[in-house]
Amino acid sequence: MSDKQVFDGQAVMDIEDSYARRNFLKYAALFGVGSTLAVAGLGERRFASGQGGGDIDILNYALTLEYLEADFYKRGLDAGILSGREQALIVPIGAHEDAHVSTISSTISDLGGEPVKAPKTKYPQGTFGDKGTFLETASVFEELGVAAYHGQVTAIQNVDLLAAAASIAGVESRHAAIIADLIGGNPFPAPVEDNKSMKQVLKAAMPFIKS
Amino acid sequence: MDRRDFMKGTAATIPAVVGLQMLGQRFAFAQGADFADDVEVLNYALTLEYLESEFYRQGNEAGLLSGKEAQYLETIGADEDAHVAAITDTINKIGGTPVEAPGVDFADAFSNRESYLKTSHTFENLGVQAYLGAAGFIKDKAILQAAAGIFGVEARHAAVVGNLLGLEPEGGVYMGATETPLSKDEVLAAAEPFLAGAGSMSGGAAVTK
Repeated sequence: MSDKQVFDGQAVMDIEDSYARRNFLKYAALFGVGSTLAVAGLGERRFASGQGGGDIDILNYALTLEYLEADFYKRGLDAGILSGREQALIVPIGAHEDAHVSTISSTISDLGGEPVKAPKTKYPQGTFGDKGTFLETASVFEELGVAAYHGQVTAIQNVDLLAAAASIAGVESRHAAIIADLIGGNPFPAPVEDNKSMKQVLKAAMPFIKS
Repeated sequence: MDRRDFMKGTAATIPAVVGLQMLGQRFAFAQGADFADDVEVLNYALTLEYLESEFYRQGNEAGLLSGKEAQYLETIGADEDAHVAAITDTINKIGGTPVEAPGVDFADAFSNRESYLKTSHTFENLGVQAYLGAAGFIKDKAILQAAAGIFGVEARHAAVVGNLLGLEPEGGVYMGATETPLSKDEVLAAAEPFLAGAGSMSGGAAVTK
């Protein structure tokens, strides 16, 4: 799923470049993108201390995305636009995102880090106005979430954390496939999951984050 | 385990374990040396992929499905073929010897649509759990990324097939908020009924107990 599918045809396009750039820099700092990229650049040093700032940065990055997803599903389900099997399939997805938020928060705390706060969110007008728009946006979020997790596989240093992140990523893959099926999309876009860098993901997620 | 203990001192050494305990997960790689090296992990994965690939070849030939279902299962079969090819290539590249395709026996899995989809659902979830259980043994990061990428696609297959069967969303389509790993022994025990004769998993390089 390309970034274009987030931006094109959505009301978020009216964000000015300067605003967008400022926002990105703010979040880049919050997520510690700089230090994470530095850690990734160390390459093979994966068994070093085991849990450096790099892993905590990555967890906080994942946490922000999970917060965004959790908020998104809460609003979508509150809007009462789904019914029947569709609703039954989406309700657990919202519960999973909530569980991911609390799991990742606890893990960050246990590692001695500080979990980031939930981002303030904003959505293009009409996102929750009808089933079609909601599910299309859900598809974008889920594919983005999958690619975000897979983009961090080589950067995570602690092998236990990697397994924990993978166990979440697999669930995001299930979500992505089911939502693709619901909207008549392709549940199996490739034999191997796509991956995106933190920078690419933040760029795609930024339109949904306020402040 | 008291969380406060970890906030003072011990946090520097084992905090990730605590995070995992809070996940309530059993991470199979913590059990010890199931795999000596990346080639062994890859050959284990290759055997499972061969099993899946042959399963869909036979199943799709049986003509039990139509429309969207047939299309989905064709794509799933093609994904498994791609996994076999990619893993075989990788093993060759790192100087290993890929295992042969195992002998298979799918019994009456292809008697009808439901038995085909049910067996597919079992295979896909087993694949997900096998990859997750083996992930911790992979040393090469590039291989790990590829394996994770395959693992995610197996999760897609499992969910969609579960949905085709009209299973309960939680516990049928989704298997909880996190995927659960299985150790090699657990996976082999589950796969055993489908493996037959020489070249099966228990005879190949994939298993070195």
